[in-house]
Amino acid sequence: MAEGVVKRYGSRLAVDHVSFEIPAGTVYGLLGPNGAGKSTLVRMLCGVLRPDGGRVTVLGWPVPSFRVQMQLGYMPQDVALYADLTVDQNLAMFGRLYDIPRGQIASRAEELLDLVDLRERRREKVGALSGGMQRRASLAVSLVHRPRVLFLDEPTAGVDLRLRNALWEHFRALDAEDVTLFITTHLMDEVERCRLLGYLHSGRLLAEGSVPELIASSGRNSLEGALTALLEEEGEPE
Amino acid sequence: MRSLLIAGNVLRRILSDRRTVLLVLLTPLLFVLLYGTSFSSRHTHLTIAVVDKDNGLASVRTAEIGRVTLSVHLASRLLTAVVKEGFPIIKETRVEDAEEAVRSGGAWAAIVFPAGFSNAIVNEALRLGGERTMRFEGREVRLLPPETTLDIRVTLFVDDSNPLISSSGLAILQQAFSDIVSDQQRGLSVDAMLDLRPIYDGEITNLDYTAPGIIAFAITLISVMLTAVSIVRERTGGTLTRILVAPVRSAEIVTGYAAAFTVVAGIQAVELVAVSRFAFGIRLAGSVALVALILFLFVLGLQGLATLLSTIARNEFQAMQLVLILLIPSIMLGGVFWPPEALPPSLRALAQILPLTHANEALREVMLAGRGISAVTVELSALVAFAVATLAAGTWSMRRQLRRG
Repeated sequence: MAEGVVKRYGSRLAVDHVSFEIPAGTVYGLLGPNGAGKSTLVRMLCGVLRPDGGRVTVLGWPVPSFRVQMQLGYMPQDVALYADLTVDQNLAMFGRLYDIPRGQIASRAEELLDLVDLRERRREKVGALSGGMQRRASLAVSLVHRPRVLFLDEPTAGVDLRLRNALWEHFRALDAEDVTLFITTHLMDEVERCRLLGYLHSGRLLAEGSVPELIASSGRNSLEGALTALLEEEGEPE
Repeated sequence: MRSLLIAGNVLRRILSDRRTVLLVLLTPLLFVLLYGTSFSSRHTHLTIAVVDKDNGLASVRTAEIGRVTLSVHLASRLLTAVVKEGFPIIKETRVEDAEEAVRSGGAWAAIVFPAGFSNAIVNEALRLGGERTMRFEGREVRLLPPETTLDIRVTLFVDDSNPLISSSGLAILQQAFSDIVSDQQRGLSVDAMLDLRPIYDGEITNLDYTAPGIIAFAITLISVMLTAVSIVRERTGGTLTRILVAPVRSAEIVTGYAAAFTVVAGIQAVELVAVSRFAFGIRLAGSVALVALILFLFVLGLQGLATLLSTIARNEFQAMQLVLILLIPSIMLGGVFWPPEALPPSLRALAQILPLTHANEALREVMLAGRGISAVTVELSALVAFAVATLAAGTWSMRRQLRRG
C-alpha cells in the first residue's frame, strides 16, 4: 500500500503523491511511458529508496523493515546477478542473505531451475549465458526465498516474444501460488494480462482499476482509448 | 553474520577469476621489484668522459734536501676510486671532444685534469695544512708549503638536465675528491674533526628510509582502487540493490566489504614487506607482529575510505579519479620522501589527516629504529580513529545514498 508517496530529484518531482492499495494475491500492472517514474516507485516499494513524503507498507508492515524484506522479492530491470558466479552460486548467495539453510537452498534451487528451465546450465557462469537465460536466472534468484510479494521492474523489456510468453507463464504460475505480483511495463498488451492496473504518467497515478473498469469509466472501447482519454483530460496528448 | 556472507561472496568472486587472482598477486610484486631496484641504485652507471693531462708528479720543497719530485698520480687514483663506484669511463684527449660527449648525451659528465693536478693538490694541501714529514729515499724529510698559490682547478662539465641524477652523481664525485684531498691533508680531514656516532646499528640506506612509506603508499594505491571500483561496480551492476532488498543493513554491507578487502590487502601487504625484506634486504629491526598490526589498522581505515569514495562516485571512472585525489597528497605530504616537519605549516596540518603519514611514521619507528608498541601509541591511536571514522562515514554515506537515490 502506498499513501501519498513523493520522490523528488532536485526540483523535479519523480513521483507525485501516489496512493494505491493492492489486495494480496493480485497481479498488479503499473503501466507508464519511459521516464514516468515506474522504477523509482518500485524501488521505494521495495525499500531500496526512501520516499521524500508519504508512507509505504507491504503486508501491513512499514517498508523497509526486517519482516517485510524477508517476504519481498525484487527482479530489477537489469539482470543484476554476479556474472562471474554460476547460476547455483548466485542462488546460494542470495538465498543465504535470507537465512535459508544450505540444504533448503539446494532443494529450492532444484524447483526454481525447473521453473525457469535452467537445470542444464546451472553450473555455468551467469556471464556466459544468453540474455534470455540471464533474465530467467534473475527471476529464479528473486524467488529463492519464496517471497509473498514480488516486484518485477520491466521484466520483459527488450526480450523476444518467445521469452516474453515464457516469463508470463512463470508469472501465472506464481499467481496460482498466491504470490502478489507488481509488474511495471510500458507495453499495453502486458497490463491487459493483469487483474488490476495503474497508469503512471509524469510521476502521477492517473487511473487505477481493472481493465474493464477503466474502459467503462472512459466511455471508450479499448484500454488504449481509455488511457488516451485520461491524457486528454490532463491536457497532455500522448 | 550477513557481513561474513558478503565478505565470503567477494572473496569467492575474486578467487573464481584466475586473472584477478594473478593481478592481485602480481601488482604488489611489480611495484616492489621496481621500487626496490630503482631505489637501491646510486646512479653510478653514468658514463664519465675524462681528459687526463696530469703527469702524476708533485714538486715539493723540503727543509733538508731542497726540492724533490714525488710520483703521486692523484688523477689516476681519483679515477680508480670513481670507477670503483661503478662509473664507466671514456678517455678523451681533447677538452672539446669531452665537452661534446656530454652535450650529445654520450656521457653524463666530463672531467678535465690539468697537467699539474697532482702537483697543485699536494702543494695546496701543504699550504693549508702546514708542514709535514715523510720518508724520502730512506731518510725523514720535512715538506714545506709552497711560496706561491697554485691553481688546482679541475674542469667538470655536467649534464644537469636531470637535477636528481646530477646531484646524486655529483655527491659521489665530491666524495671521491674529498677522499683524495683528505689523504694529502689528514690533519684537517672532516672525518678527523667529526666524532660521528650513528644512533642506529648498521647502515640505513635510502631504500630503508623510503621503504615503509612506499609500502604504505602501494597498499593505498592498490587497495583503495580495488575496493572503491568493486563497490561502484556492484552498485552500477544492480547486485547491490538486490542485496539491499534483502534484510541487510548498510553497516553489514560496509563491514562485509571491508573484511573481504582487508584480507586481500593483508595478503598484498605481506607480499610487499616479504619481497622488500628478502629480495632487497630492507631494514626490519622491530617486531614483525607490530608491523602487521600497523598495516592491519591502516588497511582497515583505507577500506572505510574506499567505501566512502564509492558512495560519492557515480561510476567506475569517477571512483578512479577520486582515488587519485587521495593518492596525490598521500605521496607528496605523507612523509614518504621527506618528513612532514619539512612542509610549510598549512600543508603540515593536511599531512596529519592523511592515514599514510601515521602509518609511515609508525612503520619507520618499528622497522628502522626497532622501537616497541609504546613508541607508536600516538600513531596507532590515529590509525584506529581513522578506521572508525571512515567506516562510520562510509556506512552513513551509503545510507544517505539509499535515502536520496
